[in-house]
Amino acid sequence: MSESKYTIGNIDISTVKSKRPIRKGTLYNLVTGFMSLMKGMKITAYYFFHTKEVVTEQYPENRETLKISERFRAELKLKKDDRGFLNCTGCNICAQNCPNGSIEVIAMKGETNKKEIDRYIWHMDSCTFCNICVQVCPYDAIEMKPNFESSALDRRLYIYQLNKYAGPTKKNLDKLEDPADMQRLVNLIKREPYKGPIPLGMQQGEEHNFNHPEPVKKIVVKKETAKDVVKKDV
Amino acid sequence: MNANWSLSNLTERINMSSVFVEQLMWVAVGLIGVVTFISLLALVLVYAERKICAHIQCRLGPMRVGWHGILQTLADGIKLFLKEDIIPDEADRLLYFLAPFFCLVATLLSLLVIPLSPQVQIIDVNIGVIYLGAVSGFGILGVIMAGWGSNNKWSALGAMRAGAQMVSYEISTTLSLLVIVLFVGSLQLSEIVLSQQEGWWIWRAHGVGVLAFILLLISSVAELNRTPFDLAEGESELTAGFHTEYSGVRFSFFFLAEFINMFILAAMMSTFFLGGWMPFHIGQLTAFNAAMDLIPPAIWFIGKTSVMIFVFMWIRWTFPRLRVDQLMKLEWQVLMPLGFVNLFLAAIVVLTNFYFFA
Amino acid sequence: MLNDNTDPIELKTLQDQFNLGQKGLSGNDTQEFFVNMGPQHPSTHGVLRLVLKMDGENVKKVIPVLGYIHRGIEKMSEYIGARQIVPLTDRMDYLSAMSNNWGISRAVELAMGVETNSRIETIRTLMAELQRMQSHMLWWGVLGLDLGAVTTFFYGFRDREFLTELMEKTTGSRLTMNYIQPGGLMFDIHEDFVKDVKAFLKYFKPKLEEYEILLSGNVILQNRLRGVGVLSSDDALSFSCTGPTLRASGVPLDLRKTEKYGVYDQVEFDVPVGEVGDCWDRYWVRLEEIKQSMHIIEQLIDDIPEGKFTTLKPAKKLKIPAGTTYSQVETPRGSLGTFIQGDGTAIPYRLHFRTPNFNNLWAITKLGPGGKLADLVATLSTLDLVIPDIDR
Repeated sequence: MSESKYTIGNIDISTVKSKRPIRKGTLYNLVTGFMSLMKGMKITAYYFFHTKEVVTEQYPENRETLKISERFRAELKLKKDDRGFLNCTGCNICAQNCPNGSIEVIAMKGETNKKEIDRYIWHMDSCTFCNICVQVCPYDAIEMKPNFESSALDRRLYIYQLNKYAGPTKKNLDKLEDPADMQRLVNLIKREPYKGPIPLGMQQGEEHNFNHPEPVKKIVVKKETAKDVVKKDV
Repeated sequence: MNANWSLSNLTERINMSSVFVEQLMWVAVGLIGVVTFISLLALVLVYAERKICAHIQCRLGPMRVGWHGILQTLADGIKLFLKEDIIPDEADRLLYFLAPFFCLVATLLSLLVIPLSPQVQIIDVNIGVIYLGAVSGFGILGVIMAGWGSNNKWSALGAMRAGAQMVSYEISTTLSLLVIVLFVGSLQLSEIVLSQQEGWWIWRAHGVGVLAFILLLISSVAELNRTPFDLAEGESELTAGFHTEYSGVRFSFFFLAEFINMFILAAMMSTFFLGGWMPFHIGQLTAFNAAMDLIPPAIWFIGKTSVMIFVFMWIRWTFPRLRVDQLMKLEWQVLMPLGFVNLFLAAIVVLTNFYFFA
Repeated sequence: MLNDNTDPIELKTLQDQFNLGQKGLSGNDTQEFFVNMGPQHPSTHGVLRLVLKMDGENVKKVIPVLGYIHRGIEKMSEYIGARQIVPLTDRMDYLSAMSNNWGISRAVELAMGVETNSRIETIRTLMAELQRMQSHMLWWGVLGLDLGAVTTFFYGFRDREFLTELMEKTTGSRLTMNYIQPGGLMFDIHEDFVKDVKAFLKYFKPKLEEYEILLSGNVILQNRLRGVGVLSSDDALSFSCTGPTLRASGVPLDLRKTEKYGVYDQVEFDVPVGEVGDCWDRYWVRLEEIKQSMHIIEQLIDDIPEGKFTTLKPAKKLKIPAGTTYSQVETPRGSLGTFIQGDGTAIPYRLHFRTPNFNNLWAITKLGPGGKLADLVATLSTLDLVIPDIDR
């Protein structure tokens, strides 16, 4: 129990009392003070002489071996399968739930007489990357990807259009029996997507994947730091 | 034509003795040499400070300009020279313009007497120790002028603190140096170095020497306005203290003066306690002494000074800073009495010849 | 104080207002002057403007001027729904974003009557304790920086980077996490979470001892913090300070013990309490809190119960029933209270945050005068203020 003059109702709060610095006579204080300074200098000398404790990375040169976690929220993308078909129906729930209106969904009535996506516009300059749009989407149509290299010199470049075609979703397209029909609907209204500015050292249309298991180019061996040692242990 | 322009002809015309003119020419050569020396030294020292600071903090420091950042200081110097010269509105112009020069002139004058090697010492004044103490007063004057002339309350605060601090710690510095003067018996710097032929004073004058060395270390750090005594430019309190309002070339003078001062004080410490350019001798062991003599004296001097500079930087990046009244209390109630007691004990040691190789 | 009869046309200078004259209020030959520790300053942690009346080196009066980072979060809450307010609370006290999220989530859950399961509560507790450690590590580093030891800043950030990466893997973001939502969590924890936390605890214990040697045992720091800025318990209670500031003055109030939330009633931990209430006690209390948080995490990390990570359907509109609710959580800086008054729709009628930093700030008006400028800087550091929390 605490010995202060304040107690909090009937609740038993187990406390730890603070430790004051020990001070006895003048000579004791002088000697212990000096020794404390020496001990502090020993720690900084340790970090000076052990260069493998360096934790910083040289960024643009180490892009091949950079590991960004998969859930990192840096860019909004519409989910598509390997044929390029989308899941988005243009229901507008993500736009209604966005805290500051960074999503604009323009829908149309297509050949299948259902609501279809026309344009999906994302304003990156006002997005807070809060992930609420992904959380509330009922059709699992959008996701946040970790591609963080999107700096640009003009603010107007930050208005992205995310869909490549205006038309039905994957589910509705699969209901059609004729593959040619599917392709026709998909190619009917093409939208030129703007995927954002091109990061350093990449080509137009190339996508950077930060999570590829084997690097595409030569592996630069990172010096072993304290983090690696501890991770290996556990 | 040749006859008209010879030295004796000239001196006849100007009505001065040729010996005096010759000495003047040597001094001019010396000054030019010192100025080049200062510039090169600043390049190396600033780079060293940034790299040492970075490695202590688990990072790498400048890496991009040149191989591992060697040309970084050059780039910073060029940037500073190309900056706009901003003068605050109601600044006291005379004080504002003169202050950086005072700081730089103090370092120039101090550099003239340091013995770098048996052959390289520009002027060997026979009252070297007193000269050094007197000339560092110029630096203090420069700091106070900068703070007052900037028309900025924060600068004035910083300058007043700095002035008080530097003046107080001069006393401790002089008291430590006087211990060695007692042992050597002369004020001339080259004599002090030569007297360490049989061993450096830090271990020859055992307890007294070590205590004097530690006192000189603490006072030097305070003289230089470096952490833990850097409230004159306490970055997190006063943003930059007395040189807040300076930019461009004027700021580079203050910056240069700080680093050259560091070199001078490190050189002083190594001259008085670690032997200057004298190799590591032990008494009369001739074989050992001859082996040590193979390394040229300039290398000895540079090595010792570099170790002292590293110690200064190591101290700076480890400790928090002292408050102004704690700093004054430290000097007047701890270091000065210790200094006097040390001097007294040193006198007893000298009189009774109680040191190694008396 | 700066009062309201400051007519813009006849705005008198502060010196006239306070009748300074030539002799100065102190009656001797020195003149007191006003100095502005402006919104941009290296050691006010954020955009805080302090107008100081000083006599040489001594501080006579401290007047904080607020509002430089007011963004109208409470007003914005009257236009957007309860789910959308949560990312805004991230930006209030950005060093303890999870605790802020928990504050509003708990208020919304109490108002709507939503129950959560034990997995959600355990993970929320774990995240809050990790956030507490992270925030205190940054505070320690910045304390060293303010007092002149620049290396401690880098050491604090280096160790904090572990936790940031850990949280990035689970939540997807490093600073504004938006993870604890009304009804549960945004994602389930990553599969590496338990392994990473254990590795971090093993890595950090020796570093904490280094911290003690580097700063706590250092005689210079002890002399800077001992006896400086003494806040008695009566004063602390009258300013309504909470958190480590209050506990250092001797009052053992800790909301983790008194309020029934999270799984705090199932773990054992001690509450560090100070004796004198000076800067050293505030410093010591926070370092000890890091150790206690590690103890809590060790007890919880091995058995996280199974279950779902959210109890509400994601697309559900959160309708707040009519009535008022107030709930509190313990953030690393004190008690964050959320007041919601709903009217049956998804958008609340009024939302108000009682932030801990707002009340802790005014202690500086009592602690500053009587000391030197350097003491003011040390006191501000140990009060651990985050300014965006003050003017939300």
